[in-house]
Amino acid sequence: MATASSISLKTFTGLRQNTAEKPHFAAAAAVPAARRPAARQFRVLAAKTSPKLANRNLRVAVIGGGPAGGAAAEALAKGGVETFLIERKLDNAKPCGGAIPLCMVGEFDLPLDIIDRRVTKMKMISPSNVAVDIGRTLKPHEYIGMVRREVLDAYLRERAAKNGATVINGLFLKMDMPEDKNAPYRLHFSEYSGMKGGVGEKRTLEVDAVIGADGANSRVAKSIGAGDYEYAIAFQERIKIPEDKMVYYENLAEMYVGDDVSPDFYGWVFPKCDHVAVGTGTVTHKGDIKKFQLATRNRAKDKILGGKIIRVEAHPIPEHPRPRRLSGRVALVGDAAGYVTKCSGEGIYFAAKSGRMCAEAIVEGSEQGKRMVEESDLRKYLEKWDKTYWPTYKVLDVLQKVFYRSNPAREAFVEMCADEYVQKMTFDSYLYKTVVPGNPLDDLKLAVNTIGSLVRANALRKEMQKL
Amino acid sequence: MSISMALFSPPAPNLRTLLSSPRSLPKPRLTLKPSPSLMPKAPAFFAVSASSDNGAGAVPSSAVAVEEQGEPKVAVEPAKEPERENGSVASAPEEGAVAVAKFNDSRWVGGTWNLKQFQKDGSTDWDAVIDAEVRRRKWLEDNPESSSNDDPVVFDTSIIPWWAWMKRFHLPEAELLNGRAAMIGFFMAYLVDSLTGVGLVDQMGNFFCKTLLFIAVVGVLVIRKNEDVETIKKLIEETTFYDKQWQATWQDDNSGSSKNG
Repeated sequence: MATASSISLKTFTGLRQNTAEKPHFAAAAAVPAARRPAARQFRVLAAKTSPKLANRNLRVAVIGGGPAGGAAAEALAKGGVETFLIERKLDNAKPCGGAIPLCMVGEFDLPLDIIDRRVTKMKMISPSNVAVDIGRTLKPHEYIGMVRREVLDAYLRERAAKNGATVINGLFLKMDMPEDKNAPYRLHFSEYSGMKGGVGEKRTLEVDAVIGADGANSRVAKSIGAGDYEYAIAFQERIKIPEDKMVYYENLAEMYVGDDVSPDFYGWVFPKCDHVAVGTGTVTHKGDIKKFQLATRNRAKDKILGGKIIRVEAHPIPEHPRPRRLSGRVALVGDAAGYVTKCSGEGIYFAAKSGRMCAEAIVEGSEQGKRMVEESDLRKYLEKWDKTYWPTYKVLDVLQKVFYRSNPAREAFVEMCADEYVQKMTFDSYLYKTVVPGNPLDDLKLAVNTIGSLVRANALRKEMQKL
Repeated sequence: MSISMALFSPPAPNLRTLLSSPRSLPKPRLTLKPSPSLMPKAPAFFAVSASSDNGAGAVPSSAVAVEEQGEPKVAVEPAKEPERENGSVASAPEEGAVAVAKFNDSRWVGGTWNLKQFQKDGSTDWDAVIDAEVRRRKWLEDNPESSSNDDPVVFDTSIIPWWAWMKRFHLPEAELLNGRAAMIGFFMAYLVDSLTGVGLVDQMGNFFCKTLLFIAVVGVLVIRKNEDVETIKKLIEETTFYDKQWQATWQDDNSGSSKNG
């Protein structure tokens, strides 16, 4: 039995405390519990009052090894926390649009060879096929990166492992809640290591905190009773098109809007490594998704003529955060929490960022893994997240409500996108994830033009109804 | 699996055939050749076949209305047309994606409306431009077309000057609303006067009456149809709904904290 004094190092630990090989509940319980104030306040309590961990570091499990899980595990491991990353399928190619903003490359130090394509032009196509090119205002170094999820996810997980996280190939089953205040969570999972096609061995793991990064159908969320959210269905077909047609999509992505394509979202053609992904999505009319997909293909018909469908995939996209994103020492991040923006349906960057933010809150609350964390430490992550990104989410929600409402609204939307100021604002806020106020005079002009476009389009629509 | 679209060959050069319904042509061969001699007879065919439309329903009916002016002509991909019987309705080809009719109008040139063809008394007839665009959008709503790189649509509604929009859409509506406001105003002023004896000029000096006036004006502006009341209630709820969803996690922290460590 390893004693406290024996050293079991997995990697170079440096300033990290030594951890006993089999951390046991008894070790944690031996620590005299520093009594915290009985009355729990909502406002965040200082971590100084939580018990110091003797003989071991804080143990945290990250369930799910996508961008959120990988980023969280890396930040935890770097911060001196003993991290376990549990992922059920290490070569999973998650169905996804695959677009990442420019800031993600810098913030997460992504190597440039992860990016298959740099999209520098986008084409918005209205219901009456008015096509507008946006991207004129992009500087030469700016682009939207298209990645393959299997490549990105694997890279982030490997980096987490390099920093000291333990990557476990297993499927999370359920979680036992702690018996008292500083008791660990007991996780039950099936480990698949070594066995190909096997059912997996049932294992348990005791940890002090859990980060649920297991996606839209999160089991961690179910375990803590986080509640449900509305979600959209995104349906996508990967189509291999002839070389000469692929040239057109070299660095261009298309967005089709219209009632035929989707009543509340958009249809897209995104270039991937050597094929295009044609898809659409909807929240309110999920049953008609095949019809919408056919319409999307029809609208892009000329440009994807002669293509072969190589894959069909679908996945849910959360529309808003779950009612509870945090319970005890369990926090949700990424799609599991519901951090997908409206209007564009962007999720990868926010998943990774929230994973990192949550992990950093845990590291800070536990003082580099020396102390036990409590719910208030994790609440700090929620506060920071809501404060930083709430404007972004709200603006995109307003845009979706105004411009995806009806065909006239979409026509106005595409008309507005032809304006250079709009393009600049859109790309700046997308690529750098900040809502930039911009020049007030230009904003006023923009507001007037928007109203004008909406009024004109709606007037035409009223005439159309008379026909 | 290959896309069924591979079956679609690029459209053959648009031929000027009769307005939309090929099934009304008397001789099958004529689908491939322009046949101006049949033009005068066209209205009769449409009267016959209009009732049995199934696919491109909207266009033939509107086409009948404007056929006298000889405006929109819809080209049909001739390669896909099977033989036609005299005056019979061929339903099969119109269904599915086989017979795809593209929007075609002599004044729609290069992806936009050619304003020179809308001249009336020396200046552009903007009303006709608006009508043409309305018809185009209606057509496309019923028959969505593939967007093409070869002839992109570049029409922008802002080329139609603001006064044309005002004259056509704003002024009739304004007349309506002003009429309503005037009727309400006159009646309410009379009622208040008969009940309280306060004349019109004195009413305008009273704060309560001014408030009522404000409510009446706003009401006339905002509630134009019966459905608007419901719409406004829904809009108000909508503006705060997303915020509520985000705040949800902060609502029940008291109940959650006592359970777990």
